[in-house]
Amino acid sequence: MTRVVEVPTSFDDRTFDQFAKSNAEPGGGRPLYDAHGVHWASPYGLVGLLAAGQAIMEQTGKQALLTVPEDRDVLHYWARAGFFEFAPEWFEIHGKVPRIGPSHSSEVLLEITPVRGSADVHGVVRTIQRRAAAILSGELGLDASATMGFGMALSEACQNIVEHAGTSGWVAVQSYTWRRRLGRRVVVIAVADAGIGFRRSLESTQSGRFGDRWSDATALEAALFQGVSRIPDPGRGQGLGGICRYLNRWDGKISVRSGTARLAIVPSWDDDEPLVDGLPPFPGSQILMIVPAHMAK
Amino acid sequence: MHNIDLKTVLKRKVSEGYDDLVTRHTGRAVRSGVEELLAELDRDQVTVMDFSAVGCLDISCADEIVGKLLLDHGRARLMLLRGLTPAHCDAIVTVLERHSIAVVAQDGDGGFELLGPIEPTVRDVFTAIWQHRWTALPDIAARTAVPAHLVQRALAELIDRQLVRQEAGHYLAPVAR
Repeated sequence: MTRVVEVPTSFDDRTFDQFAKSNAEPGGGRPLYDAHGVHWASPYGLVGLLAAGQAIMEQTGKQALLTVPEDRDVLHYWARAGFFEFAPEWFEIHGKVPRIGPSHSSEVLLEITPVRGSADVHGVVRTIQRRAAAILSGELGLDASATMGFGMALSEACQNIVEHAGTSGWVAVQSYTWRRRLGRRVVVIAVADAGIGFRRSLESTQSGRFGDRWSDATALEAALFQGVSRIPDPGRGQGLGGICRYLNRWDGKISVRSGTARLAIVPSWDDDEPLVDGLPPFPGSQILMIVPAHMAK
Repeated sequence: MHNIDLKTVLKRKVSEGYDDLVTRHTGRAVRSGVEELLAELDRDQVTVMDFSAVGCLDISCADEIVGKLLLDHGRARLMLLRGLTPAHCDAIVTVLERHSIAVVAQDGDGGFELLGPIEPTVRDVFTAIWQHRWTALPDIAARTAVPAHLVQRALAELIDRQLVRQEAGHYLAPVAR
């Protein structure tokens, strides 16, 4: 018996909650992630899908099923983005997968990359600085310090997995031109894991302070706005705040989803809600960062 | 003056292939390498931590290296940062503010700057000292237009925090002579 989880036809941060809802629907049986009708997916969608598969494997010890997109271009993009490098570990794949490996381009700045430890974070930062510096300074009009700051933000987001998730995760970076949504070029960082999430990570040290208010939402607020950490070291808990400051300086956006809540620092060009609670539950944490082209350009 | 090239320490303690000071894991290893060097160095000499060859510096690594070294050794040694990019400074200042500590940084032109949360008067007194290299309290008060008793208080704080030195009734920036 299988339980069908619908992958939205346009699968990104705006449709992720729809995916999470389908993923969280009760019912026994082996989940079948139906991506057959997908005609577009962002890196956020792809790393989220991997996290869903990983969570199933870690909970049940069995692979979930996955039907791949029917659209050839979409399928080839998934392959170039590196999705099929890692998907076979978590999914029993149904459908023909193209025999092309991950490759970077002017759009795929960092193909889906596993984050398991400190060495992976070094690799991600080195790669992105090599590949993205020209795009950040040339196409986005950011100065050299913004390029270095981009590496810092990426590193801190990945370390959130290494230090707190209790499992591995993924990161991907892509550049787009958002004609309708923003009318500018953007660089998007997507980071996801299927780990314990912010609430469980912070529970032992922070839940008493919040009492009945303790939830996924308050855990996110504590981490992002109060800079708290589960580790009793006064130097801990600065990373997410540093990311927020960096993105704020460059009119960027950060959105962090964990459990049933999502907290975002919303720039003027976006219409997202700053805090959404009561979302369909989803394992681990998912971070989205968007750096838009500088207005002066 | 002792110069510690952090990229050399990074390569020796973590990996030959790394250029960036990122992750707490790397920061802990580099700090341990710096502490091994500090143990062999004269406490009375200025210790320069040189970031010139370092690529990216993240906040976690800055906390492990700069934050913890200053907290553990900053009262006993005069430390100076050199070769910082604006992005390095951003990460370091975040850490300094978290711990309410300060450090002297030297820019490419040889000028000195205080990084970290410092009262404006104390910062003005520091600037007057490094601009004139070797100066006494009355001169500082005259140059800053800060009352002498406030200059005295600022000097006491700067000396206590190992941000300036005092020699024969005069004050000087870390490596002014």
